[in-house]
Amino acid sequence: MTLAIILVIAAAFGLIFILGVTVSRGLQVSGENRRRIQPIDVEAFRNLVDPAEDEYLRRRLTSVDFRRVQRERLRATATYIEIAGRNAAVLALIGQAALSAGDATTVEAARQLVDNALLLRRNAAFALLKIYVALAWPNSGQTASSVLQGYERLSGCAMLLGRLQNPAVPVRIAATM
Amino acid sequence: MLQAHSLLWDYLWVGPNALLLVLAWLLWQRRIWRQNSAFLAFAIVSAVGDIAVFLADISPSVSAVNFWRVDWAYLFAESILKFIVIGEVFSQLNRPYPSVSKLGRVVVSGVGAFLVLLATLVAAFSRGDSSVRLISGAHLLEQIVFTVELGLILVIFLFGAYFNLSWDRRSFGLLLGFGISSCGHLAGWAISANAAPSPHGRVLLDFLDMATHHVCVLIWFYYLLIPKSGGATRPPKPPSAGAGSDESHKEHLEVWNRELERLIHQ
Repeated sequence: MTLAIILVIAAAFGLIFILGVTVSRGLQVSGENRRRIQPIDVEAFRNLVDPAEDEYLRRRLTSVDFRRVQRERLRATATYIEIAGRNAAVLALIGQAALSAGDATTVEAARQLVDNALLLRRNAAFALLKIYVALAWPNSGQTASSVLQGYERLSGCAMLLGRLQNPAVPVRIAATM
Repeated sequence: MLQAHSLLWDYLWVGPNALLLVLAWLLWQRRIWRQNSAFLAFAIVSAVGDIAVFLADISPSVSAVNFWRVDWAYLFAESILKFIVIGEVFSQLNRPYPSVSKLGRVVVSGVGAFLVLLATLVAAFSRGDSSVRLISGAHLLEQIVFTVELGLILVIFLFGAYFNLSWDRRSFGLLLGFGISSCGHLAGWAISANAAPSPHGRVLLDFLDMATHHVCVLIWFYYLLIPKSGGATRPPKPPSAGAGSDESHKEHLEVWNRELERLIHQ
C-alpha cells in the first residue's frame, strides 16, 4: 500500500511537471516570457575567481578568518555564476531565434552564440556544484575560472551577432575603444 | 455505464486504437512519418496488439492463460517500441546542439540505467495482485516499464528546459503524450499491483487507463497533424518578445552591448 501511495504521488508530481513544461513552452512561443539579461560586474567576478587573490588572502589572514572570508567569496561567486548561467540561457534562445535568419553569416554567428551559451550553461552547473562542495572545504582552490572565460567568449559571440543584426551599437562600442 | 464490457468500456478499448491506426495511415499518406519512423511502427504495433488483446478477451475460444500470453507479447513489443520512440525524440532534440549532446547522452543513459535498477527493486518489493505469476508478473512489468518511461521523459524535459533547447513541435507532442500516458498508467498499475483494489475498483482503474490512452492519442493527433499557427517548426521566440521578435533581439543585444561597453570603460 505504501509503495502504491509513493508511486501515485510520484506520478502526480510528474504530471504536474509535464503540464508545467507544456504551459511554459506555450508562453515562450507566444512571447509572454519576460526573462531578461541581468548585468554582471565582470571585473568583480574576475577578482573573485583570481587564484592570486586567494593566495594573497591565504597569506594575510589566519586560517579561521581565511575560511570565513573564502566562504563569503564562494557565495558571491555562486551568485555571479547563477546570473551568468541565466544570461546564457536567454542568449541561447536569442541565438536559436536568429538561426532562422536568411543571411549565412548571421546564421553562423547565431550558431556560435548558441554553442557557447549552452557550453557556459553546462559549465555554470558544474561550477556551482563544485562551489557547494567547496563551501564545506574552503581551503580547496577556486573552480569558476572556466565560467568567466566562457562568459567572455559568449560576450564576443553576442557582440558579433549584435553587430550583424543591429550595426549601430557595436560602432558605438568600437568608437569608445 | 462504468462496468466491464459496457459500451463505454468497449469504445475506450477499441476506439483509441482505431484512431491510432488512422493516425499512422495519415502520417504515411502525408509523408511525415520519416521524421518519426519509430512512432509509426509504435502506432501500428500498439494499436494492432491492443485490439488483439481485446479480441482475445471477448473471444470464448481463447483460454485465460492464452489471453495473458497474448497480453505479455503485446506488452513486450509495445514497451520496446516505446523506448525506441523516446530515444528517437531525444536524439532529435539533442542533435542540433553539439556542445551539450554528449552530456545529454550520458545523462539520459545514466538515469535510464539507474531507473531500470530502481524499478526492478521496487517491483521486487511489490506484493503482486494475483497468485498466478502470469497475471501478477504482467502487472509488475507494466509498473517497471511506466516507472522507467516516466523517469526518462522527466529527465528529457528537464534537460531541454535547463538548456532552453527549442523543441520540434512533433517531438514535443510525442513526448507530452507519452509523459501523460506514463503518469496515468503508472498510478493505475501501482494501485493495481500493490493496493489490492476491489473488483469494481479494478474496473475503474481500467477505465482510467483507457481514458488516459485516449487523451494521449488525441494529443498525438493534434501535435503531429495540425501545423503550428504562423509557420512550420520554427525555434521559439526569445523571451520578452513583445511587439516583434526582431525588436526584442535588438533590445537584448543592446543590453548586452551596453554591458560590454561598460566593461571596456573599466
